[in-house]
Amino acid sequence: MTRLSSRALLALTLTLVAGGLLVLNLGGYLSAAQGLVLRPIGGLQEWLAQRVSAVQTLLTSPADLTTLRAENQRLEAEVAALQREVIALREQANEAEVLAGLLGYARTRPESRYVAARVIGQDVSPFIRSIWLGQGSDEGIQQGMPVVTERGLVGRISEVYATVSRVQLITDPTSVVNVRLQTSRADGSLEAQVNGELWVDLIDQSASVTPGELVLTSGLGGSFPADIPVGQVVTVRKRDYELFQQAVIQSSADFETLEIVLVITNFQPLSPGQGVP
Amino acid sequence: MRYVTGSLLMALLAIVQSTVLTRLAFLEGTPSLILLACVSWALVGRAGEAMILGFIGGLFLDLLSGGPFGVSSIALVASVYLASLTEGRFWEAHILAPLGVMAAASAVYYVITTAAIWIAGHPLSPDRAFAQVFLPSTFLNVLLALPSVQLAGRLQEAAFPPAVRMG
Repeated sequence: MTRLSSRALLALTLTLVAGGLLVLNLGGYLSAAQGLVLRPIGGLQEWLAQRVSAVQTLLTSPADLTTLRAENQRLEAEVAALQREVIALREQANEAEVLAGLLGYARTRPESRYVAARVIGQDVSPFIRSIWLGQGSDEGIQQGMPVVTERGLVGRISEVYATVSRVQLITDPTSVVNVRLQTSRADGSLEAQVNGELWVDLIDQSASVTPGELVLTSGLGGSFPADIPVGQVVTVRKRDYELFQQAVIQSSADFETLEIVLVITNFQPLSPGQGVP
Repeated sequence: MRYVTGSLLMALLAIVQSTVLTRLAFLEGTPSLILLACVSWALVGRAGEAMILGFIGGLFLDLLSGGPFGVSSIALVASVYLASLTEGRFWEAHILAPLGVMAAASAVYYVITTAAIWIAGHPLSPDRAFAQVFLPSTFLNVLLALPSVQLAGRLQEAAFPPAVRMG
C-alpha cells in the first residue's frame, strides 16, 4: 500500500470515528465523558482567564502603568514582586467592584437566590454566542436557569457539567426572550440577528413605542423571571402594511466585558430546553 | 508517549483559543491555533501524526463549543489530509508554499465547520460569515503560517533527530 493511500485510509477512519462520536453525542451518550474531561479543562481555563483578565486590566490603565514604570526604575530589585502584587491587587479591586455591583443588584431582588460565577471562556466558534462559567451542577446550577449581571439579562444556562456550564447569550441568533416595553406596556419577542443586532419583534402595531424606552423580560412563557432589564429601544421600524412593528434595542449588559455573572438558582423555567440548542 | 504529549498540547491550545484568542478577535476572526499546529506538523513531514492530533484537538475544540461534537475533528482531519498532499511535489520546498497550503487548509476547515453549524439549525449569513469570519481568520492563519511551520520544524528536529550512521 502506498504512503498516500494509507494516509487516505487513516483520514477516512478518523472521519468515521468522528462521525460516530457525533451520532453518540446527539444521542446524549457522551455527556458523562465530556463532564469528566471538562473538569480539569475548566479549572485550567479559570486559572488562565483570571491571569488574562488581570493583564488586560493592567494594560488598559495607562496612568497606573506609568506609575508602575516609574517604580520600576526606582526599585529595580523589587519590581518583579511589586508588579505581581499590583496585578493581584488590581484584579482583586476590579473583582470587588464587580461583586459590589452584583451584590447591589441581588439586594434589589431579595426574592431570587444567586450563584456568582466567573466567566472562564467564550465559544470557540464565532457563529455561536455563548460563554463558559467556572461553576456547574456542583453549585446547584441547572439547565435553563437565567443569567444576569447588575446591568441586566445575559442569557440562560444551556449546558451543565459538574464544574463548568455554558450560557447561551441573548445575542445568539437561536435565543428567544419574551419581553415587555416598560412605558408602552407592549409585549414582544427579542431575537438576535446574525449581524449581532437585537430586535424586538411581534410588537402590536397600535403600541406607541419610542426610542429610549426600557425593555424588560415579560415572564411570559416561563423561561425567564419578569422585569429583568434587557436593554433600551434605539430605533423603531413601523410599516402600515405589516402586522407588527419592530424595535432595535441596545442591550443593557456589556457582553464584551463580562467577568462575573449571577445565575438565578431558585427560578424553575417551565421548559429548560426551550430555545436552547 | 508522543500522542499523550500531543494531546496535552492540543488541550492547552484549545483552552488558549477559548480563553485568550476570543478576546483578541480581528473583526470576528481569530487564528485557529490547533489548525496552525496540525497543518504545520503535516508540512514538516509528519502528516499521519498531525491527522491524529487534529482529530484529538478537534474533540477538545468541540468540547468548548456549542457546535456539533466531532465536526471540528472531521474538519481538521480533512485540512491536514489536504496539506499532506503537497508532500513530494516539486514546489513543496518553496519558502512561500506554507502560505498557500495554510490558506487552502483554512478554507476547508471553515467551510466544513460553518456548514455543520448551519445544518445544525444555527442561522448564518453567508456574506457576513465570509467577510467577518472566513477572510480575517484565514488571513491571520496565513500570517502565522511561516513562524508556525518554522517552530514545528525546530520541534521536529529536537524531538526526532535524524539518525546518523557512523563509519
